[in-house]
Amino acid sequence: MTGSTHSVNEHSPIPAAAGIGLRFPHHELVAQGRPQVAWFEVHAENYFGGGAARQVLTSVRRDYPLSLHGVGLSLGSAEELDGQHLRRIAELVRSLEPGLVSEHLSWSVVGGRYLADLLPLPMTEEALAVVCRHVDQTQAALQRHILIENPSTYLQFRHSTIPEWEFMSAVAQRTGCGILCDVNNIFVSASNHGWDGERYLNALPAAAVGEIHLAGHALRTLDNGRTIRIDDHGSNVSAEVWALYVQALRRFGAKPTLIEWDTDIPAFEVLLDEAAQAATLMRAVAGNHACAA
Amino acid sequence: MPALLELQRSLREQLFGDPTRADARGGEALLAGDDGALRLAIYRNTAFATLVNALRLSFPAVQRLVGADFFEGAAHEFVRRNPPSSAYLNDYGADFAGFLAGYPPAAALAYLGDVARLEWAVNRALHASDVPRLDLARLAALGDSALSHVSFRAHPALSLLRLEFPADAIWRAVLEQNDAAMAAIDLSSGPVHLLIERNPAGVQVRCLSAAAWEFTARLSAGRPLSAVLADGSEGEVDAWLSEHLALGRFIDFSCTTLVATTVAAGETHS
Repeated sequence: MTGSTHSVNEHSPIPAAAGIGLRFPHHELVAQGRPQVAWFEVHAENYFGGGAARQVLTSVRRDYPLSLHGVGLSLGSAEELDGQHLRRIAELVRSLEPGLVSEHLSWSVVGGRYLADLLPLPMTEEALAVVCRHVDQTQAALQRHILIENPSTYLQFRHSTIPEWEFMSAVAQRTGCGILCDVNNIFVSASNHGWDGERYLNALPAAAVGEIHLAGHALRTLDNGRTIRIDDHGSNVSAEVWALYVQALRRFGAKPTLIEWDTDIPAFEVLLDEAAQAATLMRAVAGNHACAA
Repeated sequence: MPALLELQRSLREQLFGDPTRADARGGEALLAGDDGALRLAIYRNTAFATLVNALRLSFPAVQRLVGADFFEGAAHEFVRRNPPSSAYLNDYGADFAGFLAGYPPAAALAYLGDVARLEWAVNRALHASDVPRLDLARLAALGDSALSHVSFRAHPALSLLRLEFPADAIWRAVLEQNDAAMAAIDLSSGPVHLLIERNPAGVQVRCLSAAAWEFTARLSAGRPLSAVLADGSEGEVDAWLSEHLALGRFIDFSCTTLVATTVAAGETHS
């Protein structure tokens, strides 16, 4: 999967294998050591500028399949998308030709201010229409399909009428976009809201799932004694999430699967171990069920 | 049931609004369950932690000068008053130096604003877009007499700062944790004239003479070379210009009085 066989001009699809989210602390190691990793994913917003970071990314793209993951486009904003933000993503997509491009089912921008988190949407027909309009606009600007990731959420709105899994499916069905199924996010949200994670998985249209995310999360006790799961990407994937990942593989077959780690980023070997674990499960489960979808 | 835009405005107010204002709490009625405020606080904490950390990464010397706790408090206040206008966080913090200069708890550190201005210029140099340098053959084709009429466009990584305090010396001493160098700094040594840029080795902070800085600042602001020379630049103007061109500090030029010449030469620059 790795090595120097990919040329920069070749469109490298993301393989149905375990990849790693590339973050700054591992730039040098990856740029110089070229470790055996099936593919990398980066946050688009970290590479809007030039200089050393962009140089590393360009060289990584030469040797690995690359997926571009946006965290700031704010597809769920009631107002218009930030045109400059979309143009910057389009410029990255043009120059890197990533195998996958993804964003989130969430919003972060209102009144021209970026609120610096992936905020939850009310699950309403109005929000669905807004998200679909912005996915259409993004896909037109990028001239390709994108994947939409299910969010991790800590709160719900009283006036929501559509279960999140139906909302996700409807966005995929109406816009033709794919689904980035974040298994940790499903587990976190299901736990925080009393949903059934397996039911969520089973409700997603398997043919639309183009990628899976895995990450660690934390437990926090609120002042009222209730325990909330926080999607902090700061630890190993939990046993419960691995178990749900097995369910996802049974349902969707082998899919590109990413290990994400964003806080207290550990040694690269820890990420390699997590990726190896995902690869082992993929072979064991989806190797025999690749047609289950 | 509120429209989506109304809900998003309400959440912004709850996340970033003045916590002492009563209407900052009104939107909690939208949230399901009996602990919406506690759950909303998770988002507030994440947003503020993300933005304070973005400032911490861009202003490491300021943080060392004031200490982590003080920095956290100042950054938190800045974030609340000035949420970013874009999701590109390397662009966030342009106003932090001005905020610090007028932040009463920091008034005893008169040079703090200058150090922050320098760090912002360094941050800009670090993240500026990659732009091809000016093709000198294009410039040479103009000939000497035409050359004096051009205006240059500066590389986006280039900044020119005139600061009242020796912020470059403070910045270096603080980041190198060099107490001896810090102790040797004379705060009353007068203004410094700095040029900040990026080259293949990384970000460079250079101290220029006042005359070289004036010349360079005017040129990089787009003033025509002939006008800059007429301003009465004194010194080795030719040497300065050659250095700027050789080091790629300019990426383009325009020459409005010589449109006919450049069109004839097939140039299409703006």
